Amino acid sequence: MKPFQTKIFDFFQKHDVENFIGVPDSTLKEFISYGLKKKKIIVTTREEEAIGIASGMCLSGSSSLVFMQNAGFANSLSTITSLVELYKIPIIFLIGWRGYLKDDAPEHSMIGKIQPDLLKIIELPTKTLSSNNWKKSCEWAIKKIQNNASCALIVKREFHD
Amino acid sequence: MIRKEVMKIVLDHIDSQPIISANGFISRDLFELKEKNSNFYMIGSMGLASSIGLGVALKNPRKRIYVFDGDGNILMNLGSLVTIGYMRPKNIIHIIFDNQSHESTGGQPTASNKIEISKFGKICNFKTFVVSNTKSLKNCLRQIKKINQSIMIVIKISKSNIQSQRVSLEPEFIKNRFMDSLNEKK
Repeated sequence: MKPFQTKIFDFFQKHDVENFIGVPDSTLKEFISYGLKKKKIIVTTREEEAIGIASGMCLSGSSSLVFMQNAGFANSLSTITSLVELYKIPIIFLIGWRGYLKDDAPEHSMIGKIQPDLLKIIELPTKTLSSNNWKKSCEWAIKKIQNNASCALIVKREFHD
Repeated sequence: MIRKEVMKIVLDHIDSQPIISANGFISRDLFELKEKNSNFYMIGSMGLASSIGLGVALKNPRKRIYVFDGDGNILMNLGSLVTIGYMRPKNIIHIIFDNQSHESTGGQPTASNKIEISKFGKICNFKTFVVSNTKSLKNCLRQIKKINQSIMIVIKISKSNIQSQRVSLEPEFIKNRFMDSLNEKK
């Protein structure tokens, strides 16, 4: 059976998401490797850059998803609030949640802990994905961007390297 | 030369083509000099004009996309040049108004007096030009019409005391009419 991250990729492609842009994250590696195989991924140098490119594509009427680790999400707060939310540019964020496990690497523990609050504070509607609920949440995300709103989908890091 | 003066010369060579203009005084000058539907005025998100421009360029290969940037702005996002160089769009014209300072925040210095930004452009597959007078700028603007690759023009200017009015349009309005303008004549 296909892992659910590759199903997510197929689902979004089927629903006219045309661009997948971001900075790699090990939590999302199945999603990213699958997209790379399909030659559908643009890897950028930083997350803000990915959001800028995705914004330009959305402005051209082409739906976009930006993927990143939550460390990169922390980098991106100003871009999300002063570009994506200010201009109401509909982007789906797919974010890997490092620091979800209490014993994840130390550099992730603070961001991992405050991530749900950060998302709430910047008023970015969010759903956390699992292998059981992914389809419903992805349908929700598609509806969001159809209504000109951005949103975030979170994938928990539930394993250690 | 000051920014508003050279921007006017650049704008004389642009009709309805899309312009992504960096936040701060650059967008303000553009707003005063040539207000049009196909201007995307950035208000926040400093550094990202060239990234937004790349996204628009990749999706609109038949249009030439102008990015109006500053030295402080591009120095915040040099990675953008790397990605543009990797993707190699033939329809992006990246204009950098280089006054060697963060003029919008009070004229603090950038490093562009010692680090030549055009060199980054060169290694990132741009056809690059550096101009420091109106004659060579006009020459360059004529030349680029025939060039079929990513283009970077660094225009060396001095700081100025002229301050244009703020962009008084709502961000969502700027977005919607910019999107409509891209749809026209596609």
